[in-house]
Amino acid sequence: TSAATTAALGLDNEVEVEKVKKRQPIPKLDDARLLSAAGIPKLRRISKERLRFKGKGHEYGDIARMLNMYQLWLDDLYPRAKFADGLAMIEKLGHTKHIQYMRKEWIAEGKPKHAMESD
Amino acid sequence: QQTTLDEWAKDPLVDPEIRAHVYSLISALGGIGEDGTYALGDDALLCLKDLRKWLKFADGQLNRRDVARCMAEANLVKGDLLEMLAKISERVMQDKLKHKVAVAILELLVPLTWPFEIDPVEATVNHHKHGPYIQLAQIGYKRAVLQYDRARILQTAVRIALPSMAVPLRERTPRDEGIIRIALYFIRNIVMLSPPSSVPMDIDEAEVSRSATIETFYEQDIFQVILSVASSIGEDFVTQDVLILETLFYLLKGIDAEKLFMEDRKLSSKNTNELKDLIQKEKAMLAGYARHAPTRHNRFGTMIWLKRDDEKFSTISGQDVLGKAQKSMQKMDTTKKWNKPKRTGRKKGEEEHESEEFNLPVALTSSARKHIKAFVEEFLDSSFNPLFLHLRKALERETERVETRHSRQYFYLVSWFLRAECARRRTIKERAADPKSNEVLTAEDESYGLVAEVMNQETFILLNRFLQKSQDEKAWQDLNAGMRCFTQILLTVQEMADSALEDDQEIAENIQNRIFYEESTHDRVVNVLRSYKDQGFGYLDAVTELSHVFLRMLERYSKQNVDLQVRSKKRARKIRKKQAEVQGEGNEEEGHASATEDIASAQRIVSERRFDFARFSAKFVNQSSVDTFVSFLKFYKELNVEQLKRAHRFFYRVAFKMEIGVLLFRVDILQLFNQMIKGPEGLDPKSPSFKEWEEFIRHFFRTVVKRMQERSELVVEMLFSKIPATIFYLEHGYEREVATKA
Repeated sequence: TSAATTAALGLDNEVEVEKVKKRQPIPKLDDARLLSAAGIPKLRRISKERLRFKGKGHEYGDIARMLNMYQLWLDDLYPRAKFADGLAMIEKLGHTKHIQYMRKEWIAEGKPKHAMESD
Repeated sequence: QQTTLDEWAKDPLVDPEIRAHVYSLISALGGIGEDGTYALGDDALLCLKDLRKWLKFADGQLNRRDVARCMAEANLVKGDLLEMLAKISERVMQDKLKHKVAVAILELLVPLTWPFEIDPVEATVNHHKHGPYIQLAQIGYKRAVLQYDRARILQTAVRIALPSMAVPLRERTPRDEGIIRIALYFIRNIVMLSPPSSVPMDIDEAEVSRSATIETFYEQDIFQVILSVASSIGEDFVTQDVLILETLFYLLKGIDAEKLFMEDRKLSSKNTNELKDLIQKEKAMLAGYARHAPTRHNRFGTMIWLKRDDEKFSTISGQDVLGKAQKSMQKMDTTKKWNKPKRTGRKKGEEEHESEEFNLPVALTSSARKHIKAFVEEFLDSSFNPLFLHLRKALERETERVETRHSRQYFYLVSWFLRAECARRRTIKERAADPKSNEVLTAEDESYGLVAEVMNQETFILLNRFLQKSQDEKAWQDLNAGMRCFTQILLTVQEMADSALEDDQEIAENIQNRIFYEESTHDRVVNVLRSYKDQGFGYLDAVTELSHVFLRMLERYSKQNVDLQVRSKKRARKIRKKQAEVQGEGNEEEGHASATEDIASAQRIVSERRFDFARFSAKFVNQSSVDTFVSFLKFYKELNVEQLKRAHRFFYRVAFKMEIGVLLFRVDILQLFNQMIKGPEGLDPKSPSFKEWEEFIRHFFRTVVKRMQERSELVVEMLFSKIPATIFYLEHGYEREVATKA
């Protein structure tokens, strides 16, 4: 009878439970992603390799090329978001402590040379 | 329409008993008589009183709207009340009984036309059920009153009150006061009712528009009534001041005061220019689309690859992107499906005050414009000073009759009339300067006496308190009205300073002294600009205009008065702390910043010090004010020349005058600038603002490119708002010299 009750109570129906799977979490654009290899480090690399300015007389072209670089970079980093949305999200991340710390570090990397010169 | 008792009993909307009672009263009022005109029923007066009781007790005390709805369905206003008024209007002042009936009719009309608002606290399910129907019915009432052809309804209403108005103030009985009040309320209700935006209407909007109201007011001499009450306020009338204020507010809000005083010839040329501009804008827009439109049919099926690094490809379909790199980048972006969810807060609060909205422009017909212009001129000449003096005192004393919305309306109207007065003076001057006309300026034309009552210290104190209060309470619409008023005062003072009369110049000098003497005023303007967040375009327009005008005038003034002193408030605690420490520049700034942050608390001392414009503008130009102006500029397609100029001056100041362009080094801002000039959907290259923007942006982009080449760390910083500590380094490439301690 115990088998009958378990059947009646539906205790064996594990298969059904399995069906209710968790939704695939939506990838987030968070500081971990921003700091990963495809994030800021990549941006710093490609900007050195690729960003060439023509200078005077080509202001609009120069900036357009720069914007394109950012757009493609952002598309690789987080394909889901449109350019403007992605920028807003990253800007917001910039207010977190961790990213702020990293930003100061990156700026400081450029500094020492200069500090030594002035000394 | 339901007609039988059985149908009423089944009707779920209204209690059948209520309906039966109300309908029987309405049919007892009267009807078409033997001579074909309306005949009053035998007990018409008693029926009217009963109906009023129903409205008052069944609806008012039980907090429902059933009776109002029944009356709307039974066509009471147009079918009976107006007919009755028309019938007796001839002899309403002589015949006592007729006067009584007329008063009873007005007593019904006023609650019926009372603007319907759903109060979130008080409302029951009944309010929501009947709301839309009653709103529409009220618009119908307005139309019936304005367009009624057999009698002048509004004038009759005034005539009913005339005997009471004629009684000297001290001898008036409460009943007299009551009759005056309902007549004025009736006028206010009629102006105030406006088609609800949420419910579709089936009547012609022109019949209930502002122009129609103005026309009727003119025809029925209502303007004269408003003028005579307003000009004798304080003598014959006291408590009616807020009623006149409200009537004026709903009558004038949204009307462009500048356009009102333009000469007809000029106005029509301005309107033609506006039309030309619009056509031009549309042409430019269409040309913009045509440039990118496909040249073949929509199934042509082109597909291109975009080669990217790491051996990756993106595919884009459509022939319109062929051979246009920039276009394909853009298409890649716009075809993405996901949108960042936007906050949709704050909407709810705004809907409640739909009728209070004053940011939307209202267009007038030319004859309505002529009438309202004549009224405004007469009002300025005779009533502006007494009425606004009286109102200011009422607001200061926080009299019982004053409600919260009244201060907002007061400041909005002050700004409106100042603007109108300035515009009028300009046209008078132009006319006098015109050699063809024989008009000469009189001393009266020159002086600003007509608006003197709002240009005094008392008003400034009230305004300052109001601004501070609405800022603290986050009452944005109030703050908006206050800012507009302040801006307009500043502009008026400036015109006064340029006046030919020496007295005026002196007065202007004094006012400016007083405005610029208080440092708290400076801080408030900066704070409001910095703390913008989603308050909507009207607010954004007001806040940017205020800061633009304020900064420009302060700059000019401090140049003329090199040793300008300001009174600043500091907290005593901070100062003591400061004195304990070693004195230093940075310390003082810090103490000052936090003092403005919470003015409410702590004891303060007042000290004077020299005003330093450079320091002020440094406070003025910072990341949050840049963000505010960026959100303003995002509307660039809708901005007019003056507004674009305002934004231009601000960004110019940031980038080149103050030399902290680094605040603008952000990808989204660069993107916006680039889009404005290079499109898609950019500024029209033929518009007058295009050139100065094009030059500014080119100039600015050049510095961006230069900076990027010098400092590679900017590539990352480009993504973010800057950290205050690193701004100086990013701008100059070296650390700020720390001020050596003296």
